[in-house]
Amino acid sequence: MPPPSTMARPSRQPDYVRFSPTTPIVIDNGGSIFRIGWAGESDPRVSFRNVVQRPRHKASGETVTIVGDNDPALMKYFDCTRTSHRSPFDANVVYQFENMEYILDYGFERLGATSQVDHPILMTECIRNPLNSRSKMAELLFETYGVPSIAFGVDAVFSYKLNQQLGRCNEEGLAVCSGFSTSHVIPIVKGEPVAEACCRTNIGGFHVTDYLKQLLSLKYPHHISNITWEKSEELKMEHCYVALDFASELQLFQKGNEIAKEKTRCWQLPWVPPTQAEIPSEEELARRAALKEKQGQRLRDMAAARKSLRITELENELNSLEDLLQQIDEVEEPEVLSVLSGTKYFSRQELESAILRVTQSLRKAKGEPLEPEEKTDVPLSEKYPLVSVPDDILSPEQLKEKKRQIFLKTTSEGRLLAKRKRIEEEAMRERQNQLEEEKRLENPELYLEQLHIKYRELCEKIESRKRFKTNGNQNVSGGVGRGERLSAAQKERMRLLTSAAFDRGKGEDTFGARDEDWQLYKLMSKDNDDDDNGQEEDEAELARLTCRLQDIDPNFIPKPDLVQLQATTAEFPKFRPQTAEDFQIVLDVERFRCPEVLFQPNMIGIDQAGLDEMTGISLRRLSFDDSMKDEITKSIFVTGGNALLPGLLPRLEAGIRQIRPYLSPLKVVRAYDPILDAWRGAAVYANSPLFSSQTLSIQDYFEKGEDLLRQYNIKYTI
Amino acid sequence: MEPEVVSSEMVLPAALPFKRVQMSDKYPKGQSRGRHWKHLKQIVQAENYSSLPAHEPNYLNIESPPSMYPSKKYCDITGFEAPYTDPRTSLRYANPGVFKRIRGLPDDQIQRYLTLRNAAIVLR
Repeated sequence: MPPPSTMARPSRQPDYVRFSPTTPIVIDNGGSIFRIGWAGESDPRVSFRNVVQRPRHKASGETVTIVGDNDPALMKYFDCTRTSHRSPFDANVVYQFENMEYILDYGFERLGATSQVDHPILMTECIRNPLNSRSKMAELLFETYGVPSIAFGVDAVFSYKLNQQLGRCNEEGLAVCSGFSTSHVIPIVKGEPVAEACCRTNIGGFHVTDYLKQLLSLKYPHHISNITWEKSEELKMEHCYVALDFASELQLFQKGNEIAKEKTRCWQLPWVPPTQAEIPSEEELARRAALKEKQGQRLRDMAAARKSLRITELENELNSLEDLLQQIDEVEEPEVLSVLSGTKYFSRQELESAILRVTQSLRKAKGEPLEPEEKTDVPLSEKYPLVSVPDDILSPEQLKEKKRQIFLKTTSEGRLLAKRKRIEEEAMRERQNQLEEEKRLENPELYLEQLHIKYRELCEKIESRKRFKTNGNQNVSGGVGRGERLSAAQKERMRLLTSAAFDRGKGEDTFGARDEDWQLYKLMSKDNDDDDNGQEEDEAELARLTCRLQDIDPNFIPKPDLVQLQATTAEFPKFRPQTAEDFQIVLDVERFRCPEVLFQPNMIGIDQAGLDEMTGISLRRLSFDDSMKDEITKSIFVTGGNALLPGLLPRLEAGIRQIRPYLSPLKVVRAYDPILDAWRGAAVYANSPLFSSQTLSIQDYFEKGEDLLRQYNIKYTI
Repeated sequence: MEPEVVSSEMVLPAALPFKRVQMSDKYPKGQSRGRHWKHLKQIVQAENYSSLPAHEPNYLNIESPPSMYPSKKYCDITGFEAPYTDPRTSLRYANPGVFKRIRGLPDDQIQRYLTLRNAAIVLR
């Protein structure tokens, strides 16, 4: 079978009218492929994938119906985002008859039907099709298409009958049909299937392909978009095989020797190596450097211009302020306010302080060293004259000024205090260092020893605290992950909670009588990180010790896990350029692991017997004696799409041999064409002159309805 | 419609001359259709097989029983025979190397591996 994606679109048959109304139309309604053609012909006229898609046409916005597979190039005109391929089948039973109708529409249309489908129809169905499905199908064919008569038969049996005619199998035999969604084993006695002895497992080619697709997309998450259903189907047909002995084949691959390497297949995804960035030439480098230099120069020029502008601005301001000061000096005291009224200053002091400020910023702009900011010789009372004056003799404006002065005073005092403290601390550290240095000079070995001991103690302390919090896991966040135990801190908290609840329930409640009782809540609180400050101090001390040790001890190596705990929490794979190997999809174990689900459905969670065991079950269900069973096993016939998997027949034979008694006859044959033989057999069957005796007519249907279909049972030997 | 779409005849015509009832008559536009089909499970339930005689074959009772042999356990990642099971993720694995990989897998991938053999926990 050609892969569905490359299958050409069937063309409309021109010779529909040539056939007489008695010629039956034969339909093989398979789980994956729908085939339709004329009875008596050797091949179906039209076959396509049994799916419907109803996308929206982008240009016109209307929903259209597309049956089967299409040229992907044409799908760009349709919006397929909200639709996907839909099949009318649930397992091997038709259940969505709206989709079935689209498919039949398309089938008849391609066959060339013009005015009416006035031909008898032979359609395949699964064995023991539920009545609901069969009657709905009959209803559809009779009432919508006006078909004169229909017959339903089982595909595997048609295939068997055809191969019986070809001489590949006997009148008594076992049809093993592994299809798209199900696998059947049907015993055939005297040319008729024995329905009560047949056996079905809900596993088929779909599961094999799906398993392959899922495995590959899990193995190669980066190429998930390339691993489509169609491609997996193609890979399955090209590379998959059934292992004769699954366990030994696995071991072969597990050892990974030469034979396994030979059996490995590789699918190279389209990949273009990235164009190497060429090494820039000497001139190019020089050009770039010049460009950079030019840009830098521009920036520098800009900065210089800004600086000179600022300097001139400040100078202007200073000049004007000095002028103002002079004016004030010249005039009498009472007129000062009138002079100052045009400016934002209210007094001489303010003006002076502004001048001072401007001078300082001018110095700064020019890059000269600053003068000491605080002139200590100015007494505080002079600087902030209003602070000590009582409120009630001040005007509102002065009150405001007083507030400002109080604020300025307190901040400057605070600043002074902090400065003094800083100096003191520095002095103390200096003293400490000196002391240590003295100690070191006194007895270097002892000092080093002590330092090391101290370092180790601190390390342990910090580490134990960390372990207490994270339970020794690398889980720094402190949360309890999936399957992780509670950390010691969390455990302690749980213990407190439970014991508190337990104790409170009985006896006299004296909780709260003592002050210590209330400490319990502090311990219980979730963010019980009480000693976080201590931890920080410890860490700072540790860093200091590490520095010192590194300074004086050449052999000292700091503990890496503590120093760079954050850096090593996650290991990042090193970046490397991509190669063609990164775009390869390697099929090794998958080649036989996927088809193995036919024999071990348990692998994908379907709790049913596999193909080889099914034959045993089917034979057990047969109510014949052993000689008949021996007769049947002489002609085990394998059909259906999975029969094309290489190695399936030998495996099946080996499996059945294990079930059957020692030295009992066994012969396994494959259908002449496992894919098309069902349709061909049906076409041969429908061509026989007695076919009409096996059909249901439209008159009977309208007369008797569903009952007719319940009793209907096709005879294959006519 | 674009000419190449028309020439490929990929779109099914809305009305076909050989049909007695057209699709548009059966399912008029604009009306909510609801669900007018049953799943296989519902179909089988509606067939009421339990009322029929047990020896008569039907869709349900021709199904094959579970395998008589104990199911083998295979590594979820590599496919090799798996002697071990990870208690945390309940994935099966063949050797310590695979175990390391399992522990590094994100949760959704673990669930997908479990779904493959129908062992994932489905939260409803």
